Parts: sequence; structure tokens; C-alpha cells
Amino acid sequence: MIYAVTDTWVLTLRALREAVRQPAIEIGNVFIPMFFFAVVVGAIGNTAGRAFGIENYTGFQMPVAVLQAVAGAAGTAGLGMVTDIERGYFDKLMLTPAPRVSLAAGRLAGDGVRTMTLATLILMAGLFAGSGMETGVPGAIVLLLIAGAFGLAYSGIGVAIALKTGSNQAAQIGFLIFFPLLFLSPAFAPKEFFAPWLELLATINPVTYILEGMRDLVLEGWDVQSLAAALVSIAGLAGFTMTLVALALRSRTA
Amino acid sequence: MLAVEARGLTKHFPQDIRAVDGIDLAIGEGMIFGFLGANGSGKTTTVRMLTTLLRPTAGDASVLGFDVRRSPGEVRKRIGVALQEAGLDDLQTGRELLTLQARLYRVPRSDIRARVDELLRIVDLEDAADRRIKTYSGGMQRRLDLAAALVHRPKLVFLDEPTTGLDPISREAIWRYVRELNTREGVTFFLTTQYLEEADRLADDVAIMDRGRIVAQGSPAALKASISADVVTLRIEGGAEGVERAAEAVRRFEGLQDVRVVEDSVIVYVNEGSTAIGALVLLLSEAGLRAREVTLARPTLDDVFLRKTGHHLEASDGAAAAEPTARGRR
Repeated sequence: MIYAVTDTWVLTLRALREAVRQPAIEIGNVFIPMFFFAVVVGAIGNTAGRAFGIENYTGFQMPVAVLQAVAGAAGTAGLGMVTDIERGYFDKLMLTPAPRVSLAAGRLAGDGVRTMTLATLILMAGLFAGSGMETGVPGAIVLLLIAGAFGLAYSGIGVAIALKTGSNQAAQIGFLIFFPLLFLSPAFAPKEFFAPWLELLATINPVTYILEGMRDLVLEGWDVQSLAAALVSIAGLAGFTMTLVALALRSRTA
Repeated sequence: MLAVEARGLTKHFPQDIRAVDGIDLAIGEGMIFGFLGANGSGKTTTVRMLTTLLRPTAGDASVLGFDVRRSPGEVRKRIGVALQEAGLDDLQTGRELLTLQARLYRVPRSDIRARVDELLRIVDLEDAADRRIKTYSGGMQRRLDLAAALVHRPKLVFLDEPTTGLDPISREAIWRYVRELNTREGVTFFLTTQYLEEADRLADDVAIMDRGRIVAQGSPAALKASISADVVTLRIEGGAEGVERAAEAVRRFEGLQDVRVVEDSVIVYVNEGSTAIGALVLLLSEAGLRAREVTLARPTLDDVFLRKTGHHLEASDGAAAAEPTARGRR
């Protein structure tokens, strides 16, 4: 058990070193959500705010940008794994006595830290743009932890696909899945304004609760029920994606 | 205790591909074992099963006394492996990669720095230790890969085609490290190769693998002696038809053991080569044929390979540099 922890730690450090040495990959993960954030708030912020009765549309949009950045970074988690598989380095790791779970967990934990770092940058940009933070510094920290936990859970999709297929193209599906999930959530308007079919889809979409949990921290203040719903959604997503990772890891040695 | 023991080891892939078809192995400790075969003969699949990367379809195998299926973790702790492609992380430096390997192999933290420095010195990579691996040449990457396989001082090291594609100097360097470690520290090596010279010069024992089966096994000297013949190679003028006719003609020679046709040559195995040459040339002449070149040699591993498999061993990469005698003129 102790080796599962220490080996995960050294592999996390290795994943982070890899990220630091390829900064260009993160530029897109920061630029795209910031661009969407600026354009949406700038173009329809006033109108949407009035139409939906939202005083602070910048604050309403900031968690969307955070989630977008997190999903962008987590969606590419599988690519690093595919590169390891293609290079043969994953085999080298598989040949060590490190517990199998650490081989995936090290990369996932590295992605968790990476996504929290990106989320911090977006959060700071949002604060600079006037989003505010109703729950103050503690709320910002909780928001970042939620972002990191979501990133960790979400990267499981890409990592599982990478382990199973070893294919670069397939591993990028992890990122594409996020877009329908985001647009089927109350990303741009409260779901009370949705058509009934869309409201139903938003209600069963886990991203809705993660987004609302983060949004309440920014706009409303501490809401235990909202935070609990976000955490349950992340736990459910993590349970699903980590099961996929475990199955894919097993199939690697068949 | 044997370092490697296998009985009926088998790996089948979908579509009835029999990559490894029931092989037996018994490799003693302290030995350099050469696993010789062409591309696709099943060498790498065997290594992947013995190193726990692949589950056998059937049969049993134990490595250093541990069953590869029941105790893969115990096997992994005790072996070092450098696979066919030097599986390295381009973004790390050589020193970082070795340090990470040392930590994953439970080398005590206080010993890691000294061990990494020692390995970098052994494989002549001290000057490049803090450069990223993507700047290393192919030979440097292979040497680093070998160092990574040795980081925890394993008693058994699997090297899967460690010199394929390397220039002669890098190849000699790898051979030197293997010999030194075997002699000085008693490390057992399981070495796959498609280079006859490599098997001949390094291995105490050799197994020849062909289409998933072991077709011959023994020391290089014993394998060569098993042919108990001289090898006369006749390069024939007159194209494929001439070569076929020449093979027919030399079959009339008394004292003939075997005849093989390879490209533009007829390879004749005879009891007494020095006395046979004249008679063979005469037989060709009677058939209206002429030999462009006649050579006489003692049997090589290539001849063993040819006799056992019916074809020459053709290495895929750099073979000419490694094995200039592949045409039977040694």
C-alpha cells in the first residue's frame, strides 16, 4: 500500500515535469476558454444579464471558463499516455514492481494538479474582469479543489481510451465528449429558461451540478446542498471513469 | 535453481497466429543465453511472456524460481529488461530517467545518486547525463536503456535485440558491458538477436527459433560441431537455372552430406572439404557449368541455421555490417 502512494507520487512529479517542459500544449488550454469568456461576456453579457435577471453575468460565466480550461487540459491527459505507449516507455514502467494502479494514478494526479493550475489562471482573469467571489478566498480555494477533482475524474476517460487503444486520435475523444455535456448544462442561461426537453437533459447531466456548485461559490455564497451535489456528481463521474481505467489497465497485460 | 525454465510455453493471437508454439527452456544462472531467430520468429513474444508483459496462452514458465503467471510482481522485482525499442521518455534527462527507475525499483534513497552516477559511468554517458534524452543518438539511447535495466542490480537481464540498428562501435560497446557484467557480477543474460555474430561471440548457449518453435539448442561450438561437415560454397554463373543444374550435378559427389541452394550459390556439406573441391568443380564442368567463386569453410551458426530451418537468417537492419558471412563464405 505504501508503495502505491510513493510510486504514485514519483510518477506524478514526472507527469508534471513533462507538462512544464511542453508549455505550448497549455497555451491552447488557457487561451480558448479565456477567449470564449471575453467574447460571451463582451457580446451578450449585458443583454443576457437583463434577460435572465442576472446582475453579475461575468461571475455567471467565470466557472464556465474554468470548467472549459479544466476539460481541455484533462481531455488531453490520454495523449501523454499514448505517447508513453508508442515510445515503449509505458512497457518500461509496467516492468517495474510499481503497483499497476500507480502507473495510471501518477498521470491522473499530475493532470489534477495541472488542471488546478490552469483553473487558477482563469479564476484570476475572471476576478480581474469583475466576476467577484461571494465566498472570498476560502470559496476560491474550494472552487479550485472542485476544478482539480473534476479534472482528475474527467482525465480518466482519455487515459482509459489511451490504455485500451494506444491510439492518438481515439484519446482525443475524451475532450470532444465535454462539449455536448457543457452545452447541455446551464452554461449560458439558468435552466429554468430552457425548453422542457433541454431542461430534462440538463437535470441528468453531471456537469450541471458541478457548474452550479462552482457558480454558487462565486455568486451566492456558501450553499452546502449545492456543494454536496457537485461533489456527488464528481464522485459518480470518477467512479465511472476510474472503472474504465482499471479495466483498460487489466487488458494491457492480456 | 535455473534462471529461466519453461515447459510448453505457448502464445497464440487471434486469427490462429501461433507466435510461440510450445517451447521448452532451461537456462542456468550465470549464463549468457542467445535466442537467435529472424524477425517474426517469436523471440520478442517469448521475452514478453517471461517478463510478465504478456500472459501465456498455455504452458508454464518460471523466472528465478517464480511463476510468471502466479507471481509476476516477484519476477519483476528481480529482473532487468531492455526491450527491442529503447523505451525512453524523451522529455527527461538521462539522470532523471535512471533516478525514477531507481525509485520505482526500491533502491534505497541514500544509494540512488551513487548508483545512477556509477551506471552513467559504466555506459559512458556521464557527459550527456543532464541532457534531455531526445538529443541522444540511437547508440546512446540503447546504452541508457541498458543502464535503466541494471539500476537495481538484477541477477537476470533480458535484452531484446539490444544492438539492432546500431553502428559497429556502439555494438561493440554493448557487447563489452554484457561480458563485463556477466564475468564480474555473475549476471545472467537472456539475449535475443538476429545477428549470428552476436550469438556466436557472446552466448554460452544458443537456441534457434523458427516460426514459433525452437529448432536447435546448445553451445555455439556444439551446434557447429553437430553438422560435422565442411562447407563448400559454389557461386554459379548462369542464373537460377544454372544454380538448379549445379545442385543436381554436385549431388553425384560421394561423401556428400547435404546440398542447399541460396540465391546464386550452391552450398555443399561434405566430409572432407579440401579434397572435395576439385571433384565438385569437375562435376560442374561435366555439366557444362562454371563456378565464379569457390570457398571452403568450417560450419558457422549460419550453416546450423540453414540446416535446421532451410533458410538463411536475414537480419532486418544493419545485418550486412554485423554479419558479412551471411552468404556462407566464412
